[in-house]
Amino acid sequence: MFSRRFDMGVKIGGAVLGASVLCVFLVIFFGVRNTVADVGYRPEQPVPFSHKLHAGQLNISCQYCHAGVENSAHSPVPTTQTCMNCHTAVLPESPKLQLVRDSYEKGTPIEWIRIHKVPDYAHFNHSRHIRAQIDCKSCHGPVEEMGVVSQFKPLSMGWCLDCHRNPEANIVGARPISGVFTGQMHKVKDLLDSTYLYKPIPAQVAAASDLKDMVTPSFGQKQSPLPKYHVDGIPHPKKAGIGPENCSACHY
Amino acid sequence: MNATNRIARLFWIALAAAFAGFVVMVLSGNITWFSTARPLEFLNNMDHQFKAIPQSGNTFFADRASVRTAVEGTVARGQQVYPLGQGDIDKAETANVNPGVPRTDFVLARGQNRFNVFCSACHGYDAHSNPPMVRRQRWLGIPDLTRPQTAALSDARIYHIISAGQNLMPSYADKITPVDRWAIIYYLRTLQGVQGVASNAPASTQQVQ
Repeated sequence: MFSRRFDMGVKIGGAVLGASVLCVFLVIFFGVRNTVADVGYRPEQPVPFSHKLHAGQLNISCQYCHAGVENSAHSPVPTTQTCMNCHTAVLPESPKLQLVRDSYEKGTPIEWIRIHKVPDYAHFNHSRHIRAQIDCKSCHGPVEEMGVVSQFKPLSMGWCLDCHRNPEANIVGARPISGVFTGQMHKVKDLLDSTYLYKPIPAQVAAASDLKDMVTPSFGQKQSPLPKYHVDGIPHPKKAGIGPENCSACHY
Repeated sequence: MNATNRIARLFWIALAAAFAGFVVMVLSGNITWFSTARPLEFLNNMDHQFKAIPQSGNTFFADRASVRTAVEGTVARGQQVYPLGQGDIDKAETANVNPGVPRTDFVLARGQNRFNVFCSACHGYDAHSNPPMVRRQRWLGIPDLTRPQTAALSDARIYHIISAGQNLMPSYADKITPVDRWAIIYYLRTLQGVQGVASNAPASTQQVQ
């Protein structure tokens, strides 16, 4: 009925169209996943604050500025007062800090641009994780090496579950800079015992032999055969009914 | 017809190569292109709700601040306001009494944690006041906390300094809870290597700066 030429045209056209639709679908399907779209988000902040300088080189603990993270679901962005604790004396005339000084004098907040965000229908609690001694770096990456902070992990639901189903493989060894631990950290087995919370102080437990230096991350290099449900004070992340495999743990 | 076939074949090869590269890049998880643009959102049904999120802008209020400042004179539940000013040194010796925080390992460790977080930026992890900030000549004249003059200060006076500040040091009353302040004092005593006294007579504190 149709000519051979027309027939071939329809075949090729159909193939091209189908391939294009497939490509568009795949680009949207994979391209807007959090791993691709969110990771690497690095907005320009109103004040050129460098975590690399403050946390990395000056050894200021995360919690000095993000104080209250261990008590609150929301990890607070520091108040301008916190900046001015030091910057009344340190670089008081710097033009880069003009916005901070203005904010301090007028009482108007600096409008930092939010980088890490979970959807509004998911409730993430920082204090819960800090108290379970999850280091900041596990989710936020090596912030003390970032001049401009970028999102390091996807913060998607699948990513949450990956870690909660296999925390030993994903949690980064604690570092002094985070302030989560005090000075040294224990082996994996001891981390599950709450009597070691905030312990040890070198002066107090100098005699103990099972200490590992904190600079060597031991959490994550070793798989533990647990879940061990009854840990004093710290519910194991795999515990049924509490952990995020219960929908209402985060979506409430 | 041959030409058409060749073009079609080339098209498919190019498409397959691009697709394979794309899949490898995405699925390997190594693909992180940095972007200052907001993340792409696909069907963001309820991701952004009209509710007050802490420290976020909110159009409901005229000043767009979701976190409201308390009405003047109100005290938040559990909030403990430090009543003394920076100059009330004499009153501090009697007003600041340890409420019975025990000197246990746990409390000491808590004190170390809080000291490392809030004090070490200026005073160093060892209280010798030689942290990177001082070594970089950014802030000079911070006193060594292990020197005898400082070690001679009473617990009540150190509590006063933490709570109200001294000289260029601001008040940390809003950041460190009262119990944590006593824990810090216990830990500071271990760094100083002294027992410490609960409070001094007001006259003797006048000479120490």
